[in-house]
Amino acid sequence: MADMQTGFWAGWIAVLTLVSLAAMGWLVWSIYFGRDSHEETPEEPVWDETLEEGHRPPPLWWFWLLFGAMIFSLIYLIFFPGLGSYSGLLDWSQGARMADSMENFDARFAEPRAEVAAMTLAEIQNDLNLMDTAERIFRRECSVCHGPDGRGQANLFPNLHDVDWQWGASPEQIEQSIRGGRRANMIAWQAVLGEDGIDRVAEYVQVLGSDAAAGHEGATQYQQTCAACHGADGSGNVALGAPRLDDDIWLYGGDLATIRETLQNGRYGVMPAFGERLDDFQIKLLIALLAR
Amino acid sequence: MNGLSLHRKIEENTGLLIFGILVVSAIGGLVQLVPVLNQDSLEEPTSNTRPYSAVELTGRDIYMREGCSVCHSQQIRPLIAEVERYGPYSRAGEFVYDRPFMWGSKRTGPDLHRIGGKYSDDWHRLHLLDPRAVVAESIMPAYPWLGEREASEAGNITAKMRGLRRLGHPYTDEEIAAAEADLEGLKEIDTLIAYLQLLGTNFNEEEETNE
Ligand code: HEC
Ligand code: HEC
Ligand code: HEC
Repeated sequence: MADMQTGFWAGWIAVLTLVSLAAMGWLVWSIYFGRDSHEETPEEPVWDETLEEGHRPPPLWWFWLLFGAMIFSLIYLIFFPGLGSYSGLLDWSQGARMADSMENFDARFAEPRAEVAAMTLAEIQNDLNLMDTAERIFRRECSVCHGPDGRGQANLFPNLHDVDWQWGASPEQIEQSIRGGRRANMIAWQAVLGEDGIDRVAEYVQVLGSDAAAGHEGATQYQQTCAACHGADGSGNVALGAPRLDDDIWLYGGDLATIRETLQNGRYGVMPAFGERLDDFQIKLLIALLAR
Repeated sequence: MNGLSLHRKIEENTGLLIFGILVVSAIGGLVQLVPVLNQDSLEEPTSNTRPYSAVELTGRDIYMREGCSVCHSQQIRPLIAEVERYGPYSRAGEFVYDRPFMWGSKRTGPDLHRIGGKYSDDWHRLHLLDPRAVVAESIMPAYPWLGEREASEAGNITAKMRGLRRLGHPYTDEEIAAAEADLEGLKEIDTLIAYLQLLGTNFNEEEETNE
């Protein structure tokens, strides 16, 4: 798609191509049909008494093959770009072909896409074919992180089929997660809490949501530093992507060692944005798949 | 004179024969290669293509060293199936600072030209150290040593950047002087991820009109 050659080099290409084509044409023609092409030349050397050098022209079908190839090249160069800056009778270009096939492609799927756009999520969810498509899109685009079944993996990529939604479970919130991606940001708390503080708060986080939380020695520090995001009762905040801490569902892990690690180093989970990679149709199907 | 007597003359004169062969076989190159070497538009970077930073350059060298291009291409062809799967097809201007190109010719794994931004750094880290940790059925080899080796020991970065500058990459003296410090404390895998995350992000759709 590099643009066409212009100026001197365009002429260079055109002249060299045409001259060598003509030279080859002349050569082949004259070998077969030239003046002395069929005469015997008597002064041929003779080797080893009987071995004579002959010069009978090669079979005639060779001629037609070569000649045909030359005619083909000439016709090709008339219709397609090839001769310097001449763009050919068909005005063909790789870029235009791409744009064309993209248009055809879009037109071919315009109807089912429009149908899906007009459907409600519940209707999509009841359509087995569409849900099958949705699952295939999920497996192709999302499963390397969220796992083949969407149940999360590696303690880094969340389960998308549980009740706990870090960034919100509504179709709008899920759409935002997919289109724009999500960047969670929880800084490291080592400097703020100190070694002892980390121990106390980690333990408190573990018991949050149970009776043992009342009067726990980590409660004060939790309320001071963590409640702003995770909520006073640990119920989380979907606007900030701060997860619930009062249940048994964990992304990175709910054992004491992992919680301590989370607090010491901070956590910066990244969900990439898919708004550019997927089209509206695919995104809607994914929302229907996840918002069940 | 006709073709046949010309033939005879050439065949009976070795010097002339050699000369003739050279002329004829040069024509293809004269038509195909010489004009392209003089075509500025192929050397014009797309508006936001820039030379690799010290970190990305080191990552690129590791990509070469590990032979990633044996299984991964870096060229999206202008075909609908490829554009739908990988993103906008590759433009010549995106590769002006690639010496040598990592286009590759074999796709055991997917094309990587538009991999930048597709996954998170965390994912790349897990995947490079052990692909099976995230893609159960993957046949890509694991590269555990990338997480252990120091990036600063993966070659002489200052010399590399100087060499590239001589070839026309616009590095400033400050950039070259800071190169070693940039690699300080990084493992090889960090630089490789930085390189992967840059791949294919230098292109914006608006330029697509420039066909
Ligand atoms: C590079 C890995 C990666 C890929 C690929 C990926 N995700 Fe995610 N996704 C994440 C991570 C990590 C999070 C959690 C972010 C955080 O820590 O807050 C997440 C979060 C989400 C959330 C929000 C979950 C919640 O609890 O609110 C949704 C919804 C989601 N992803 C859907 C998808 C869909 C649909 C796809 C495929 C189009 C996809 N993801 C592809 C890594 C990924
Ligand atoms: C600025 C808001 C903010 C504050 C303040 C904050 N967090 Fe977080 N926290 C988050 C976010 C956002 C995440 C999600 C990180 C991710 O997904 O990568 C998170 C994740 C966590 C997790 C991991 C949960 C899991 O599922 O593995 C724990 C544990 C946690 N926070 C505890 C705390 C504690 C204890 C404090 C107080 C010392 C605290 N956080 C303060 C925003 C905050
Ligand atoms: C033996 C062939 C092979 C080699 C060598 C190889 N890969 Fe892969 N790679 C694969 C296969 C197969 C996949 C698809 C399965 C997967 O995601 O693991 C893949 C997937 C990937 C992906 C994810 C692509 C996507 O769009 O999902 C990245 C990134 C990647 N490889 C990077 C690398 C890097 C960097 C190297 C060199 C250090 C490398 N690969 C070497 C075969 C290979």
